[in-house]
Amino acid sequence: MNKAIRLNAADNVATLLADAHKGEQIHVISASNGLEGIITLLQDIPFGNKVAWQPMQKGQTVIKGSFSIGKSIKPIATGQMVHVHNVRSQKLDIPTAIIQQIIQQMNIQEDV
Amino acid sequence: MKHFQGYLRSNGTVGIRNLLLIIAVDECAEGIARAISDKVTNSVVLTNYNTCMYGGNEEMIATLINAACNPNVGGALVITMGCGSINPTIITTPIAACGKPVESLTCIKSQGTRSTIREGTEKAQAIADEINRVERVEVPVSQLFVGVKCGGSDTTSGIASNPSVGRAVDKLIDNGASAVAGELLELLGCEDVLRQRSINDQVANNIERLIQEEEKRWHVAGTDLETMSVGNSIGGLTTLEEKSLGALAKTGSRPIQDILKINAKQIDKPKQPGLYLSETTMLCGGAGMHFAALGCQVILWTTGGAGFNNPIVPVIRVSGNPALINDDIDVDATGIMSGTDSIEAVSERILNSLNNVINGEPTAIEEIGYAYCTLYQKDQRVEKLLGIEPK
Repeated sequence: MNKAIRLNAADNVATLLADAHKGEQIHVISASNGLEGIITLLQDIPFGNKVAWQPMQKGQTVIKGSFSIGKSIKPIATGQMVHVHNVRSQKLDIPTAIIQQIIQQMNIQEDV
Repeated sequence: MKHFQGYLRSNGTVGIRNLLLIIAVDECAEGIARAISDKVTNSVVLTNYNTCMYGGNEEMIATLINAACNPNVGGALVITMGCGSINPTIITTPIAACGKPVESLTCIKSQGTRSTIREGTEKAQAIADEINRVERVEVPVSQLFVGVKCGGSDTTSGIASNPSVGRAVDKLIDNGASAVAGELLELLGCEDVLRQRSINDQVANNIERLIQEEEKRWHVAGTDLETMSVGNSIGGLTTLEEKSLGALAKTGSRPIQDILKINAKQIDKPKQPGLYLSETTMLCGGAGMHFAALGCQVILWTTGGAGFNNPIVPVIRVSGNPALINDDIDVDATGIMSGTDSIEAVSERILNSLNNVINGEPTAIEEIGYAYCTLYQKDQRVEKLLGIEPK
């Protein structure tokens, strides 16, 4: 079974340790490799990208490694990919055209 | 790790290597320096490749002098051509002041290249003989100052190598050692976390100011620099703060005592043990020499998979990328990526490797892959134009 690592107990996202597909069950592990739970992916998520561990409201802080990495711009369900299509930086945004380019190149399904 | 065996210098600092530094003050003297170095074991050549003029190059010369005062260096031979404006005493006086045997030679005065090589080899051998009489003694780990740097970073750096090095750094600090990181441009977006970790507001303000200055230097409208590349995002990094926090992870979680400045007027040293930030550049080669100038004896370097090295300060390489790892890498963190190894276990292996290296064992590519002593400096003229003055 493919795995995702949730670096800190405060995190609401986990990082995929391998390419994984829609409908696949993923073992979410802690930094010390303990099994935290199993989630079902709502879409394809490539290696190194993030999956929502908890559902998020619009405007909620996305936490990875115990720190804020941005805010959600729409509701995100557990098992959904968390990336440039549904999160914005609180510091310096990536230009919209570049975000579109990333979404296109990664073939991210925006509504799942 | 409470103690290690190191070379105790007369100024109280402790080296983990016992090197003779041969300094070519003028780039045209590098051939002489190399010819001498070929004949003397444990010697390293450090060349001022930039110019033989002093004005405008004070920061580079300060880096050069401070690198010669690094505890891994036992003594130095300084070579000038004789027609440049950098008087050898500018270099030899501070090196002698930190208690190291130092000699100088001027090619023109010594009647040319052949005789300078001959005379230089004799002088270098005499200093080497003196250095080689120094033996390792047991010293407390509070004498250890570790540089922390990343390079060749990819998705695995933020998940595997950086957090593992961070954990190792926390343990080092808890044991009384010191560590320092730099790469201020890559900390853009971490200002809130850095403020929380700073021991007081003054330190936090200085960190913020120096990050802003670095942003001014690099983010010049119309020039090409990607703070956040499309490749970073495809690899899984969503925001600038996520990328920066991944880089910051290698510094662990302990309080930041101060930010050590590197400029034409001063190169700061830690005043008490603990974790520091610094103006060490993000450019790997230059960073190696910045760490040398700050007084670090060893560097922990996280990477996707590349073999950065420095001849004065040994580099321990940590990689978590199973596709790129090879025998250049000292600590294998790839198990974290397959969920078969933990950050805690890898941090213990990092400390193990560090313990071996500081006690004398070579790193994976020490003395194998030749690395240049790159002297990096901020251009004083550009600094003036940008309105940046050292405070």
